[in-house]
Amino acid sequence: MSTAASAGGFQVNLAGQRNIGMGGVGVGLSLDQAAMFYNPGALAMVRKNGVQVGVNATFARVSFVPQGGTTQSNAQHDTVTPFNLYASFGPTDGKLRFGIAVYTPFGSKLRYQDNWTGRYALTQIDLKSIFIQPTVSYALTDQISIGAGLVILGYGSVNLQRDIPVQDGSGNTTHLELDGKAKNKLGYNAGIYFKPSDKLSVGISYRSQVDATVSGGSVAFRNLPSSVASSFSATKFDVTLPLPATTSVGIGVTPSEKLTIGLDANLVSWSRYKSLDFAFNGTVGGSTTSTSKRYYQDALTFRLGGQYLLTEGLAVRAGVSYDFTPVKDGYITPETPDADRVGLAAGATYNVNDQFGIDVSFLYEMLQKRSQTQSDLLSNGTTDRVAGTYKTTAAVPGIGVHYNF
Amino acid sequence: MNSFTKRTLPALGLLGLALGACQPDLEKDIKVSNGSVDFSNYVAIGNSLTAGYQSGGLFNAGQLNSYPNILSQQFAKVGGGTFVQPLFADNQKDGSGYLNFQGFTNTGSPILLSPGQAGNTRTYQLALTGQRLPSGENQLAAYAGAQPNNLGIPGISVLSSVSALTGGLAPYGLLNPFFNRLLTATEQPTVDYLTYISRTTPTFFTNWLGNNDVLTYATNGGVSSATNPFSGLTDTTRFGTGYRAITRTISKNGTVKGISATIPNVTNIPYFIAVRVADIKARFKASNPALSLYIVTGTAAMPMVREATDNDLLTLPSASVIGGVTTGNPFPVGAGLSATQSNPLPSQYVLDATEISTVLARTTQLNTIINKTARQYNVAVADMNMFFSNIASRGIAINATNNSASFLQGNLFSLDGVHPTARGYALIANEFIRVINTTYSASVPTVDPNNYDAVLFP
Repeated sequence: MSTAASAGGFQVNLAGQRNIGMGGVGVGLSLDQAAMFYNPGALAMVRKNGVQVGVNATFARVSFVPQGGTTQSNAQHDTVTPFNLYASFGPTDGKLRFGIAVYTPFGSKLRYQDNWTGRYALTQIDLKSIFIQPTVSYALTDQISIGAGLVILGYGSVNLQRDIPVQDGSGNTTHLELDGKAKNKLGYNAGIYFKPSDKLSVGISYRSQVDATVSGGSVAFRNLPSSVASSFSATKFDVTLPLPATTSVGIGVTPSEKLTIGLDANLVSWSRYKSLDFAFNGTVGGSTTSTSKRYYQDALTFRLGGQYLLTEGLAVRAGVSYDFTPVKDGYITPETPDADRVGLAAGATYNVNDQFGIDVSFLYEMLQKRSQTQSDLLSNGTTDRVAGTYKTTAAVPGIGVHYNF
Repeated sequence: MNSFTKRTLPALGLLGLALGACQPDLEKDIKVSNGSVDFSNYVAIGNSLTAGYQSGGLFNAGQLNSYPNILSQQFAKVGGGTFVQPLFADNQKDGSGYLNFQGFTNTGSPILLSPGQAGNTRTYQLALTGQRLPSGENQLAAYAGAQPNNLGIPGISVLSSVSALTGGLAPYGLLNPFFNRLLTATEQPTVDYLTYISRTTPTFFTNWLGNNDVLTYATNGGVSSATNPFSGLTDTTRFGTGYRAITRTISKNGTVKGISATIPNVTNIPYFIAVRVADIKARFKASNPALSLYIVTGTAAMPMVREATDNDLLTLPSASVIGGVTTGNPFPVGAGLSATQSNPLPSQYVLDATEISTVLARTTQLNTIINKTARQYNVAVADMNMFFSNIASRGIAINATNNSASFLQGNLFSLDGVHPTARGYALIANEFIRVINTTYSASVPTVDPNNYDAVLFP
């Protein structure tokens, strides 16, 4: 769940192993059980029941150089492993399909170099979320099916750390660590899938916003001078982070039996994320609250991908995506050093037999180089972050297995 | 299936590592350049602000964080040469000493103790010879190292730099211990600062003289001492003569590139804004609503007592005398019911409204001379007056931290309320770099002020 992995902001779009290899398309397709994520309406059209499990390894490389400086700092090379699990069942020739999905659509893990320029904004973040989605899908006719899932934020955690500009008698800098678990929250994921002909399919889906709310998370200080302890008396914090809604449309085209092409567009409603507000049960720097401007913008992603069946047992895939960033110019924060990004993907499936197969994928993401100056920060009132240039790339190999029954 | 997995899995993994191992290179696009300046021999002239004085003293750790030393480290990246500072011997590294921050009183006032003051828990390795100079100041051990590049002398003013301005009656080498230690015994009674700097051969210089031509008077509450000829406000005529001579000398008659810096307004430093009239009045009124704060104003010949107003400024040392006991006077120091029924705060602890406007007016006049002289000799100007005004009025954000001119918590001024912390000096160095880059089309890299110590809290 690296911050750089495959979607704008801190969204992670590594939901279905086959879909990843096709640039993340899936809303207008009914490839496999992962349809529960992309378009629950399409699940009823996935004739085979089965279970699939996948995992990815995210190798992200984040570089930063401060304005006016000459030396870059690199974020630590952490690897995170977003995973997915989908299982569906239902009568073979029936109109109904039930399923359960587990996926990780939002996350971020970033540890900056010690003493980097932005340490008073952030030294490290580890944000995780695991969603569980029981799903039901019903084929109204041979051509139209609908579906919906109850989205449960089953697990959410955040660990945020930064330095505080107070030094003790030996010159050590005070350090702050916030750590908390999110409350379980509910949302929904619904979709409609329409297959007017053998060669064309269309889908539309909507995943609702879920808020990750931490209540009573822990606040811990390190190297705090005793003479200023009264200005740093907090021990607990509350914060809410919106995990935004996504509206998607997709088209699937099958010009031949062997070739499937998907074209998707997603709109993520990031504009609900205006600021990150912390409330403390005591003081941090003399204040019981802390607010940081975000003013994220709704963001579009376009995806194009295809799958080609080389033989009965072997399929290959390729895809591209272009993801607009929700982060406005002059508002870049270290915990999400986002920019518009290009994704290039490839993948393959090897079916050992009718039931069992292995899916592999590889995604390479290139975020555009992005800068902000101190005068940008001053005019936006965002001087709680640093001026400079960020650039990120990420390589995400992944593998999954599927078993149909 | 086995051959598939055997071949593709490792390949994918390696591909992931190979592509993933490419850290984006942002450094290749950065170019540094010296522009039109030759930084090979940088000389800095000025007073305590230039020497790296902080928290009430000059000592090695402070000198290493002076803005000229920080500048020299940046200049080294664009062709700069070595930069020598007049450091103290290792076993005398604490130089003239510095204040020790030992916590807060239960009313929230900081406990700041000087070397030798009762209760000071720190041991110092001072550089005192044990002798006193004719001015009464403690003499410091002679400097025996190489010719320094940092010629900042704590306490020096334009008036005291040029002996001709006072008819040679006050040989500065015998009065100021920081100048005394740089001169030989034969030089001390005869060589003035102007002569001393004329011996250097800079290829680039910075000049931040002039502060003490107003600051010495101001920090003493607008009271000049009859025995110290340099304790008043310097008049514009002699300042002009002296400043022109200094600029002509250091710029080698306009042939050497450099920067002159203007004098900040004294009202922008914590020394004058940390202790507020309104807070003291509130403190007195909490015990007796009829009490207020009374101060001595007027002249030494004709003193008068009046109630303090928000237009008066209290000096930092006033905090330790206000509220104290005076034998024979029922009121605590500063408190009173009226001008005639009071224990007024002595004049040297107050910069009253009249004195403030005199000091500010003189500062503006001296800055006009600085600007005009700089133009005359083709020297760039760093407007430190505007720089400190901006910090005092709206603070300054440095890499996600908020800093201000507040005493202690502001992180920019050291324990004496006048001189910056290392972080403050780094900020000043960045401002000089900004002026150099603009004026001389250079690309000298700036430093991260947050890499330098601010106030260390106990």
